[in-house]
Amino acid sequence: MTAPVSAATAAATADWPTRCRRWLDEVFDEPASVRAVAVVRIVLGPSVIWHLRPFLANALDGVTYLDVFQQKWWPWVPNAPAGLYVALLWIGVAAAVLMTVGLWSRTATWVVLAVVAYNFFLSETHFRHNRAFLLILLAGVALCDNGRVLSLDARRRRPPDDRGLLWPVWLLRFEAAAIYFASGFSKLIDPDWVGGRVMHDRTLRYQDDARDVLGDTLGDPILEVLTARAFQWVLSPVAVATELFIAFGIWFRRTRLAAVWVAVAFHVGIEVSAQVEVFSVIAIGALAIWAVPSTRDRTLVTPSRWVRWFDWMARFDITVAPGASWRMVDRDGTVLEGREARRFVRTRLPATFLFSRFWRYR
Amino acid sequence: MIVQLALVANGYRDPHNYFAFQPFNESSTYAVELVRVLPDGERVTVPYGRWEGYDWDELIGWRALQGPWRQRHAFSGVDAVVDFLDNALDWMADHAPNATETLYLEATVTYYRNARGPSVTVIRSHDRELGGT
Repeated sequence: MTAPVSAATAAATADWPTRCRRWLDEVFDEPASVRAVAVVRIVLGPSVIWHLRPFLANALDGVTYLDVFQQKWWPWVPNAPAGLYVALLWIGVAAAVLMTVGLWSRTATWVVLAVVAYNFFLSETHFRHNRAFLLILLAGVALCDNGRVLSLDARRRRPPDDRGLLWPVWLLRFEAAAIYFASGFSKLIDPDWVGGRVMHDRTLRYQDDARDVLGDTLGDPILEVLTARAFQWVLSPVAVATELFIAFGIWFRRTRLAAVWVAVAFHVGIEVSAQVEVFSVIAIGALAIWAVPSTRDRTLVTPSRWVRWFDWMARFDITVAPGASWRMVDRDGTVLEGREARRFVRTRLPATFLFSRFWRYR
Repeated sequence: MIVQLALVANGYRDPHNYFAFQPFNESSTYAVELVRVLPDGERVTVPYGRWEGYDWDELIGWRALQGPWRQRHAFSGVDAVVDFLDNALDWMADHAPNATETLYLEATVTYYRNARGPSVTVIRSHDRELGGT
């Protein structure tokens, strides 16, 4: 069990410079739970394998970056011979597996980062926004002591607690928010985008693809709405507002759960409507970094075993007592019982959060 | 953090928006008319990107630039595609050693930026060294 990160009440009453100093201490000096980073590490492992898959598939067909158009980022980045390049890709896959199961976690993460970065920077044609985000997340996770929990490393050599320095998490938080902001703001100042022209044109162009997937019976009425200019005139500013809301709302405790909920819905929507490689998965996984970095600081008495299975972020110190009624004591000492406790618990479990009344328990 | 902010700002200048995170920025389309120019100035159309035993799609091997002679979605926007095409022409010129008749390649890019247009821009590869010329 780890302690709460900051004394919220004391911090709220302090003056601005004092609060800044406390925040800097918290960021750079005070260890806190790295469980969220471990969750991101686990998500990134399979994502990296999925990301490397097309390069490996080409390699198996005898085609590497050396055989196709290459636009170098910098002339000094060395071109590896084909054999070495393919070996590096496989090393990346092996390291991604180790990263996921948490064996030599940190070293594996650095190796994965090196392989993904090298492949990325071999040619500008390898650039995609989702790959850039993957690279940033890998760097942030590598900088953290990410094997202290949810890993084979932690099982082999049980560390005293799950705490580590969290400045890379703050860096990742900034990056994640900056991405939503950059995307939303660039669209906000583009009249073609915010006015619906871009979305409308794209929808018209790809409507046949959508009809192939949906079939005529379902596709026709849906596409009639989606391809209407008026619909895109409304949807586009909503999409822009969504990104900007996530970018800002995720920073504040009162709006964070709503921002996370909106972000998940937003990424699911993108995944359904566009091909964005690993973006949806890593972006939803990366939402874990916004969890308060303290674990098991709420006590829960429950008759149900399932809470333990779904409490991936270790939000609760759980006692399973068959026949007992639900009782939860929050960080500030607030006690919830029965249905209220059950509802609160649902808002804090990743698997049930989306379907919970999170707005009641911010 | 400063580097990231600088990259975001640079995205408004850089045609590729590298690390500036501006996905789905345009709905633009483009098509290319490819010609090869001979040493005497004659311009020979390159139908479907095939010339002197070479194939554009095979040599380029990158989906974003394949089949550009038919109207295509501009991956990452028109400016990014034109920049890639410009470099791709050079790359083609360098990777077709048996094309002994062609001095350089030229592409006329006709594009519709967010369904407005057409606009036209012409790009060309560097001059190739031709044996004996």
